Amino acid sequence: MSIDNYRSHYTFGMDFGTSDFKFGPITCGENPRVVNNRGYFPDKRSAVYRAFETAADVIVGDEVPLYLQSSEDLTARLVYPMRNGMVGKTDDNAWRVVSALCEFGLNSYPTKQNNGFQGYNVVASLSSVSPRYMYERLLDVFKQANRSGMVRAVTVIPQPFAVAIGHGVTTCVVIESGHGNSQVCPISKYPISSAQVALNRGGGDANAITSEILKDAGYGDLANEESLVRKVKEQIGLVPQDLETAITEAKRTPRKFRAKYKAPGTRVEIDLEKDSWTRFLIGEYVFNPNHEIFESYFSRGMPRPRDVKMGDTVFRGMLDFGDAIVASVERCPVELQPLLYREIILSGGNFSWKVPETLEGIVVDAPTKIKSLLRQKGIKNVSVKMTASPQLSVWHGCIIYGFAVPDDYEWDWQRLEGWMKLSG
Amino acid sequence: MASLPIEQRILHYFLAMGAQQNPSSGTNDSSLSFTLGNDKLIVNILTAKDIVQRNRILEALLHLASFRGALTQLYVVAPRLLGASLDSQIFRSHGIGLILFDERRIEETIKPQPFFQHTQSQPTIATPDPTVLSELATLKSMYSQMERTLENIRAEFTSIKRDSEGKAPDLERGTPGFTFEPVMRPPSLLVETAEGPLPSFFANNPWLDVLSRRGRSEVAPLAG
Repeated sequence: MSIDNYRSHYTFGMDFGTSDFKFGPITCGENPRVVNNRGYFPDKRSAVYRAFETAADVIVGDEVPLYLQSSEDLTARLVYPMRNGMVGKTDDNAWRVVSALCEFGLNSYPTKQNNGFQGYNVVASLSSVSPRYMYERLLDVFKQANRSGMVRAVTVIPQPFAVAIGHGVTTCVVIESGHGNSQVCPISKYPISSAQVALNRGGGDANAITSEILKDAGYGDLANEESLVRKVKEQIGLVPQDLETAITEAKRTPRKFRAKYKAPGTRVEIDLEKDSWTRFLIGEYVFNPNHEIFESYFSRGMPRPRDVKMGDTVFRGMLDFGDAIVASVERCPVELQPLLYREIILSGGNFSWKVPETLEGIVVDAPTKIKSLLRQKGIKNVSVKMTASPQLSVWHGCIIYGFAVPDDYEWDWQRLEGWMKLSG
Repeated sequence: MASLPIEQRILHYFLAMGAQQNPSSGTNDSSLSFTLGNDKLIVNILTAKDIVQRNRILEALLHLASFRGALTQLYVVAPRLLGASLDSQIFRSHGIGLILFDERRIEETIKPQPFFQHTQSQPTIATPDPTVLSELATLKSMYSQMERTLENIRAEFTSIKRDSEGKAPDLERGTPGFTFEPVMRPPSLLVETAEGPLPSFFANNPWLDVLSRRGRSEVAPLAG
């Protein structure tokens, strides 16, 4: 048996997304297992806990809903460690959840110790803006997990890099947009981390403006229901080819653009009626929040996306995606720039926008909108694509990375690549 | 000579041809038996008295027929007077010879045919063709060689099997009895490679080559 044969069985991928944790060995095939990237801390003072003491310190995986108690508890006890793509250095609860998820993931695929199994080669993927301490803490987590012999070697790679690998393109720009933030990452066989641009804007900001639109339309009582707002965003939000044209058209023929949503299994029904043109603001805000129309929302209290510094990275608040891509690419060598524009890959749930057939021409999908923004900057020879499987492409990249990188390519703290051997 | 009985005259006739009389072998008084070279001869004699008895000719022919299968040449000896009333074609078709006599001479009118030529076809033993014999020898040699090769392969297979069962696979540390635990995968989504079946997203992925060179023909990252 060759080393490659070992890796074709015992390569393990873990993708720590903002909402979901995707994990599993290469033998899962196309689809890893998916659980929420969250953990629940049960109340140890409860009579049930004291009587049985069967629950762990932190509950992760499929059992979380079984432990949920009153909704008042959720804020304090239900922890999403990577809601913004980053875990605070001193946020011990968040790191306990990360550790529990790692152990849960590995223990979900137990392997007999006497059949040649020497531990998994684990490839974990983090946000590309993760500071060095996140790498250190995560690698420590795996060292702990290796007490049971489940980990042979471990490495951590940035999510956009994993997307590029999963997509099969070696020179490209990957834009990963999640719930809390977005990252523009040029790649040319390596992630070009110095050219990376991070945006303090993601799916959560689209939820925020949807909430404001619902308030203005008279649905203020529903505007604070996060899950409902998210559903409304997904169902009625549209990305305009050109915002002003779209608004003009929608005001001229409101029936054609009418936005209605009925929450399944409830009496809740939302109808924007004459304000249906506002559905274009939801999509536009994701790609470009600089239009003057958004100023009225900021002035009425909606927080403006601000530039923030997390770790060593500055997350830009108001930069539109066109400017972000140009800024990122122009930090790379000139001769590489045309090649990067030729392969722009969009990944993440924040780029999943519908285009109703009847509204084609006015409404566009995410790749078309990005092309449009770049055209405004004078960049014309571009190709923008969505990843084939936006949810799973990071995990696919992790598996390919773990399979292909030689065992003797050792971890290097300067370039943050290679295998950290834990056994063998 | 003509004063001798016909039996004596026939005896002398065959003895003069070089035949030797056989001792009586169950034949009746009107029969003589001879050996001539490799041939055996049975001669049944009909006299002038016999031909007036209606069944005597028939009896003589049936008597000769009883020797079929044992002897090769059969003769009927009859007076010349009877020859005019016999159809020679019948004697020829059955391979029976006919000797006619009168007071002065004995004449073989129809020669007998060897019995086996008329009654059954004996299997012929063909002389083996030397070319065929040579080819057979070659085939036999090849077959022997194949048997030896097969035996060697079997021995090598047994040896390899024994080694694989006894040896460690030695990945890096080497673990005895190395086997992979079977894990189910969706079969329709697999790509067959030298390393075994892999998920379909491995197909034609250029990163496999790029990443496999990490730490070898290294090209440093552009930045960062």
